Amino acid sequence: MPLIGALPQPITSAPLVILIYVVLVLMVASALATVFLRSTVFATGAFAATMVLVALLYLTIAPFLLFAVQLLVFTTVSAALLVGVLRRTTGLDSTQEPFSREWIIGAAVAAAVLALLVVIVASTSWPLRPSVNTGAGLGGTLTNTYVVGLGVLVVLLASAALGSGLLLAASTLHRPRGR
Amino acid sequence: MNAGLNLVLAASAALFAVGAFAVVARRSVVLMLIGTQFMFMAGSIAFVAFARFGFGAVNATAGAAVAIFAGATAVAELAVGLAMAALIYREHRSLAIDADRG
Repeated sequence: MPLIGALPQPITSAPLVILIYVVLVLMVASALATVFLRSTVFATGAFAATMVLVALLYLTIAPFLLFAVQLLVFTTVSAALLVGVLRRTTGLDSTQEPFSREWIIGAAVAAAVLALLVVIVASTSWPLRPSVNTGAGLGGTLTNTYVVGLGVLVVLLASAALGSGLLLAASTLHRPRGR
Repeated sequence: MNAGLNLVLAASAALFAVGAFAVVARRSVVLMLIGTQFMFMAGSIAFVAFARFGFGAVNATAGAAVAIFAGATAVAELAVGLAMAALIYREHRSLAIDADRG
């Protein structure tokens, strides 16, 4: 199998670097907005924006097919599912008080996780080696190298679609006996 | 000024932390599910970054393939989770995770 000639290098093209920085900052900001907005409708919009920004990040560092799948499939399906549930419910505004006990615990957990990940990223010297170019694109990799995984994924998605349909078709939750 | 592995991994870590915060702090089922989506996305971004910048994958497109698997799994999880959220709402007229505590 032919090797790519050089080791993977950081991106140094100024416009692309600026674009990546802007996309990453906006991505984290819109994720924070999703979590902190009180209206679930606005939170869903911010979530969709985060998904679009992740797709833009993929456009800069990943094969085009991943960008297309992220933008056209994952973003659309996730937003449609969320909007569908919000249309079936009316509990759109959060009744949870900001800076409640849960928020403090959540902030502590998130800070601990972030600190751990940042320490690991900063203190580790990741080994570099050339990637192998098999000549096949992402589509070829999925259908040749990971064909079993793709099959499992199809079964998983079909099961999820069937399961969620059955759940929604159920008239009510099953209660334990004696209640 | 350049953009490399550590930059993308740091953003991925931040996204994962935001997702963890949503899962722990928010009581709305919808927002908790969105938090898990963020955690899935953070993992996908890390895989893509490693394949693009760092530890060479066996195959140059392996990171993107894993990202597709993770994204599809996240969508499946969201579908089932939202169906359960709709059931909870039907029972308790609330999307709060502790709506059945009385």
